[in-house]
Amino acid sequence: MGIKIDPGKCTACMACELACGYHRDDAFALLSACIIAYRARELKDYFGVVLKEEDTLVIARPEGLEVKRIGAVEEDQGEADASAKPMLLREPCDLCADREGGPLCQTVCPVDAIYQG
Amino acid sequence: MLPSPDPRPPARPRPASGSSPSPPTQAGPVVGSALAALPRRPRLGIYCGGGASHSWLWMVDSFERLGLDDLCFLDEKGVASGGLAGLDALAVSGGDAFALAGALGPEGAEAIESFVRSGGLYLGSCAGAYLCLRSSKAPLNLFNFVQARISNLARELPQPLMLAEKFSTPYGCAHVFHPVREAVWLAPAEEGPWSGGGRFAAPLYGGPAMLPDDPCLAMATYADFHPRTRFLAPRELAEATLLGRAAALRAPLGAGWLHLYGPHLEHPGFAEANRLMAEALTHDLPDGPPASPPASPPSWLAGEAVRGLARQLRREVSNSRIVAAGLEDHPVRWRIGAKVYEPAKFRVFLEAAWRRVPALERASALPLAPEESLALGEGWQEITAGLRGLRRALEDSPDPGRDTTGQANRLFDQIKRACVGLLTLHFAARGPRGGISRPH
Amino acid sequence: MPYLASDKIAVIDLATGSVEELPLSEELLNSRIGGAAVAQALYAEHEEGDPLVLGAGLLTGTLLSGSSLGLISGKSPRTGALAHAPLTLYAGLEIKYSGFDYIVIKGRSAEPVYLWVHDGIADIEPAAEIWNADVWTATQEVRKAMGDELIQTLVAGPAAVAGSPLGQVMINFWASGDRFGLGSALAAKNVKLVALRGMGLIEINDPEAYVAACVGLLGELKSGGWAGKKGLMDLAAGLGEADFAAWLAPLAHRHRAGFNTPFAANTFVFLEGDPKELKEPAAPEPGVLLTDLDAPLSLMKLGLDAKEACAIIRDCAKAGLDAAGLAELAAAGGVKDAAGVRGLMSAGDAPASGPAGPFSPCAPDKAAFADFGQGGPEWWRRRMALAYVFGLDPVFALMSPQIDEAKLIELAEVGAGLSIAPATLEQVLSGLAG
Repeated sequence: MGIKIDPGKCTACMACELACGYHRDDAFALLSACIIAYRARELKDYFGVVLKEEDTLVIARPEGLEVKRIGAVEEDQGEADASAKPMLLREPCDLCADREGGPLCQTVCPVDAIYQG
Repeated sequence: MLPSPDPRPPARPRPASGSSPSPPTQAGPVVGSALAALPRRPRLGIYCGGGASHSWLWMVDSFERLGLDDLCFLDEKGVASGGLAGLDALAVSGGDAFALAGALGPEGAEAIESFVRSGGLYLGSCAGAYLCLRSSKAPLNLFNFVQARISNLARELPQPLMLAEKFSTPYGCAHVFHPVREAVWLAPAEEGPWSGGGRFAAPLYGGPAMLPDDPCLAMATYADFHPRTRFLAPRELAEATLLGRAAALRAPLGAGWLHLYGPHLEHPGFAEANRLMAEALTHDLPDGPPASPPASPPSWLAGEAVRGLARQLRREVSNSRIVAAGLEDHPVRWRIGAKVYEPAKFRVFLEAAWRRVPALERASALPLAPEESLALGEGWQEITAGLRGLRRALEDSPDPGRDTTGQANRLFDQIKRACVGLLTLHFAARGPRGGISRPH
Repeated sequence: MPYLASDKIAVIDLATGSVEELPLSEELLNSRIGGAAVAQALYAEHEEGDPLVLGAGLLTGTLLSGSSLGLISGKSPRTGALAHAPLTLYAGLEIKYSGFDYIVIKGRSAEPVYLWVHDGIADIEPAAEIWNADVWTATQEVRKAMGDELIQTLVAGPAAVAGSPLGQVMINFWASGDRFGLGSALAAKNVKLVALRGMGLIEINDPEAYVAACVGLLGELKSGGWAGKKGLMDLAAGLGEADFAAWLAPLAHRHRAGFNTPFAANTFVFLEGDPKELKEPAAPEPGVLLTDLDAPLSLMKLGLDAKEACAIIRDCAKAGLDAAGLAELAAAGGVKDAAGVRGLMSAGDAPASGPAGPFSPCAPDKAAFADFGQGGPEWWRRRMALAYVFGLDPVFALMSPQIDEAKLIELAEVGAGLSIAPATLEQVLSGLAG
């Protein structure tokens, strides 16, 4: 079970991102959120949501959902890195384990684009 | 095997609260009382030179939160050229043990050995622990200060269940392998600074399980797996490799001590482990005054000059982290040496600097000469320019990962140095004159 | 230190090039609460410098649904009176997190400049190179120079630089709800744009209680009439404009919300490529985001086809021209074709009368998908005043009777630690709405 995103429903409102930031910081902030509304390609109206999980990135694009391994060594990019330390900037999704109502991002999504599955 | 009796008497009486059968879970008060029992505030050096990953910043955060805030920062040159004089302890966190040993070299090994033999405390976690364990592999064999062996070593590497790239590291004709990652439970040994305490959690990111030989003493063993433990090898293999082995040990060397930790007890997400690390540290700190107390800064900035510098730092660190945060959207990765770096790593250092800017803004004076202030400000300006230039280059490059490697490498180095400069200033301004108050 | 705030006001004196940082006084918060009411007070305080005041509502940028509103307040070139224009999409969010609660821009710069506001720093930067650039180019250039695509810009386009009374403050590339010509007021100060980026953190008085209240409120809101609807086509239908959806549908791509706004009141239309194709378009600039229903609706009523109308709106977006005002001007002049409308774009004219009152008519003049039990101009003005003080998207404010005055007073208490007496709220709202 993990967070899933329906890119067709998403309206890029960022409620999920702020909720996640709140879950991490107990304040309103965006920089530590592990779910991010991707909104850089504004002139093309190309937006979606990226979710950082323990080992994967879940990318909800208009085309559909893609799941990518994080840190996998691709081609000849690098050698094994056994001592790699996690960067604590954006910790992976913990499904808001300490929250009775489940993941807060799911709760605050006004258009029900976030679900678990 | 029961640990051998402690060959040395405790350096000073243990704080009363530390011997409580149910140690408090809050970090502050116990360490506060441990610190209060010390004759003076210890001066700690944190290694941030070659071979170190970013986890030395965890040391900074944890020490600062625990009130151990007389901190300075050393690279390999600092270690080799007398920078350990005046320190009570040297902390070496994670990274690449071979690269650490290579960067420090024979001069560094000699300096660390001499520092510990004359009463100093060495605190190593993960790679900082591997560094000082007995090894026949050059250049690690320059640092054979601790009579203990690595137990997570295999000639024939088992098949990883997941995260193959984080599972093992070549070690001569064998492999150091890591059957689990993330949180594990540790149990304090019957004797030593944590005796009588309950089990506690700390995260393991490739650190060693150790087999101590006399006169080393286990302070804690791997006791169990945690709900957040991630198994990279079958559970039975993980149990056989880790459970009951030393996760933390202390070893005498001359008049001083080495504390080696497999897991990262300094990880900011593990308050109890932080507290215990600091408690062990205060337990074995050298007695008496340091060999040579740190020199007083020759000049101090005050008034408008402080406000001007703090404002410039706010401006440039903000500019830099804005660009760095934007770079995190970019799929680029750089191979630098044996490691693969992602843009997020820029912000690890920038956030550490950013968190200290408000305190600098409140400072009444800063221990800095005007020309140093200028250089610090300009250094950060160059970082902003460098990051913006990197972003432009990434957008223009057909093969960003390769074309921008040199630029990224220089920037990682520049940012680390600038971050060290800002942190040095921050910690030097603690106390009545600088006016940066200590956290409660 | 107040909650849900940065506790800092920037006063930028363009004539001297100085930036003064002042604390956000408790007295100001207690007497004015936030948003447009505080902006009104700051406007009065600095009136000698003909100021423009940027700010956000008390609850902007939080988990309160609809809390997207930033605002720009100043003397309108169209009405000659103090006006408040809404800044939605992500602009209000960025103002809230910029490290300043309010930014007072007063005086006039001797040279073209832009303002770079980030993490509690307000820098004045030279803008000669982008002074004559269109809105899209100016935004792209500044983002490139500063190195971040998420920088939000409030831009004066060529129309504003030329002094048109329809010179609108644009948000990044798109129309804002400015119907007051405040883009021209910005350009008159020799300011091309304000670039904003804030990566700060906003403390909450009682975090758990505030979030629980917001979550509870969203639960109530989701049973509202807006649920399941999005975009300008649904909005128009909800307001009784039945023909609009069929007119725009062939061009409509996706619908976009402002920050944490449940109803996505913005619709992207494609002028190139297939709008139904859900993949990254090949064209770098395939269309335009429609952010204000009045512009396309008015152009439709003039008899233009959707593609012609949206192309005009896109050109207005680049020029920084208020497309709704242009359509109104065309209607007043009896213009009925695209060429005629385009002919008015460079005329520098505006409709004879500007908006009535201080709030932008970009929000419909009645409730949508909801029954508030009341209506009419007085109700509308009070509803707008409430939205502009607390930071609600003005369009969503007309769909959400659940967000009432009592609820906002409660949220202000738990979120911002601000106790608002009903009499104070009354005074603030009537001081704004008249």
